[in-house]
Amino acid sequence: MSTAAILIAVASFVLGTLLALLTIPVLVWLERRVAGLVQDRLGPNRTNVGGFRLGGVVQSFADVVKLLLKEEYYPSHIKKGRWLFMFAPIITFVAALLAFMAIPFADTILIEGESLRVQALPIDFGVFWYLAISAIGVLGVIFGGWLSHNKYSLLGAARAGSMVISYELPLGLSILAFIITYDTIDFNAMVQWQSGTVFAILPAWGILVQPLAAIILIVSLFAETNRNPFTVAEGESEIVAGFMTEYTAMKFAMYFMGEYVAMNTASAVIITMIFGGYQIPWVTTEMLLSNFSVFAISLMIVMPIIVTILIRWMRKNNTVRPTVSTDGGRDFETKVLTIAMLAMTLLVESILIYLVFLADSSLANAITVTLFQIVVFVVKLMMFNIFFILIRWTVPRFRYDQVQRLGWYYLLPLALLNLFITAIVVVGVSA
Amino acid sequence: MNNKIKVTQRHGDSFKDKLYLPAIYDGVKVTFKHLFKNVNDSNAIDTLEYPEEQPTDITDRYRGLHRLTHRTNGSVACVACFMCATACPSNCIFIEATEREDGHDEKMPKSFFIDTLECIFCGYCVEACPCDAIRMDTGIFSLTGNNREDFVLNKDQLLANKGAFGEENSCARD
Repeated sequence: MSTAAILIAVASFVLGTLLALLTIPVLVWLERRVAGLVQDRLGPNRTNVGGFRLGGVVQSFADVVKLLLKEEYYPSHIKKGRWLFMFAPIITFVAALLAFMAIPFADTILIEGESLRVQALPIDFGVFWYLAISAIGVLGVIFGGWLSHNKYSLLGAARAGSMVISYELPLGLSILAFIITYDTIDFNAMVQWQSGTVFAILPAWGILVQPLAAIILIVSLFAETNRNPFTVAEGESEIVAGFMTEYTAMKFAMYFMGEYVAMNTASAVIITMIFGGYQIPWVTTEMLLSNFSVFAISLMIVMPIIVTILIRWMRKNNTVRPTVSTDGGRDFETKVLTIAMLAMTLLVESILIYLVFLADSSLANAITVTLFQIVVFVVKLMMFNIFFILIRWTVPRFRYDQVQRLGWYYLLPLALLNLFITAIVVVGVSA
Repeated sequence: MNNKIKVTQRHGDSFKDKLYLPAIYDGVKVTFKHLFKNVNDSNAIDTLEYPEEQPTDITDRYRGLHRLTHRTNGSVACVACFMCATACPSNCIFIEATEREDGHDEKMPKSFFIDTLECIFCGYCVEACPCDAIRMDTGIFSLTGNNREDFVLNKDQLLANKGAFGEENSCARD
């Protein structure tokens, strides 16, 4: 292994871990904030460090500190299986975390003839890895609910079990349809298949090539992540908190964070499989690399526009109403963030100018394209996370027999039919 | 009788309803509209940014923190008749009577405590008072303190509270 290979592997691993873990507080905050804004409230927006609120995201860090410092309470009626009771939240959390690791954040980068994967785990069987690992997550839910020796927890665990048999089959079958279409089980190859154009004008995204399988995949992944409308295992209104009724402090936080990591992972899988992953529509990595100057110059034009819109939005909204006398440091925060954003833009612009007009290094170009793809990936990831949150605050919960009915009577036959048609079309095209 | 039977149309049986997705699309359209509007202009959201913004809709019938009223000449209106303490359902009023020396009545409170942690702000004391001596028209809706003792208001504190809606003195004693 060359130095470059080790460097890229370490960098991708760090990036994957950061993307999975650092998005937890952001997502928790985003959930509460989006919920507030959808319901015409403000949501958490007060907590700050030295006047820096960052829209209120500091609140999540304060919550983590609170959960860490809480008393470690252990229900005394649980005699046997104590270690499993403690271990169950870790299963859920780790499964969601590991499943995220197979997602590519950018296309393979070519350094000195070596093609290196920008993936936390550089494996070429990502889909199987994801299916295998993410299915373990529900075991933590079932163990936790069962070992709590509490009727609500047990009901939650039973519901989680019934959920598994409802969604796993349609999920697997819809993914199978994608595997047949893309002819690969490698996430990165799937994204490469989706970059470019299909049907003359459309981007070759999975949702346009396989619309039915895409919908089934999204629905099943909503069920897999225990998100609304499939929060039957939690069921606050009828079974208290379901499987996490007996959990407190950091044990509870593990479940809580696991839910968000799972949501993040599901978003990543959805955008990788059906929304073109790290690619912008219509464009392949080769096109970016061969027309690097065009790409860089358009980036130089687009970036100031985006930053200007962001700064204008911030100057308008990071203020207090005229009726409020103190601004609580918001003007100062706006000023500092404006300067930071402008400095960042200038830095990126000067680097791009240097790359286009002065340097002629294919390696630097490749790294720039990779970084750009990572940014595109993160933006898409956050957009789909917001979609997840928006759905949660839109629709009510299914009853758990309704979930089973949906899975077995509608999704499973549709997925089978879709698989059948896909197979016929693929065989017909290749023959 | 027959014409009184109203048949309610049940929803959820049509093909469109069973698809779920059109309904979810409609719902997301509504929520997204709200989200977009509020992200665009978060200061237009109709919420009160308490504590910087104080409520302006407290009416003169609002039962706020208690106060003891004065007569027009500045003397205490209360005659220590114990009506409020008797009417109080949570037994949070503690009065000690003493002889009155300013010539208006026979008695006055030597001490007058209201334990606001016990108080349920029902207003029975105000209704029971024959002298209009205890009122809840201060408009104060939040009382803060660092320990339990801070919430037990004594006679001086109660007399110091001002009426927020124009009527300063007792209307029953002069």
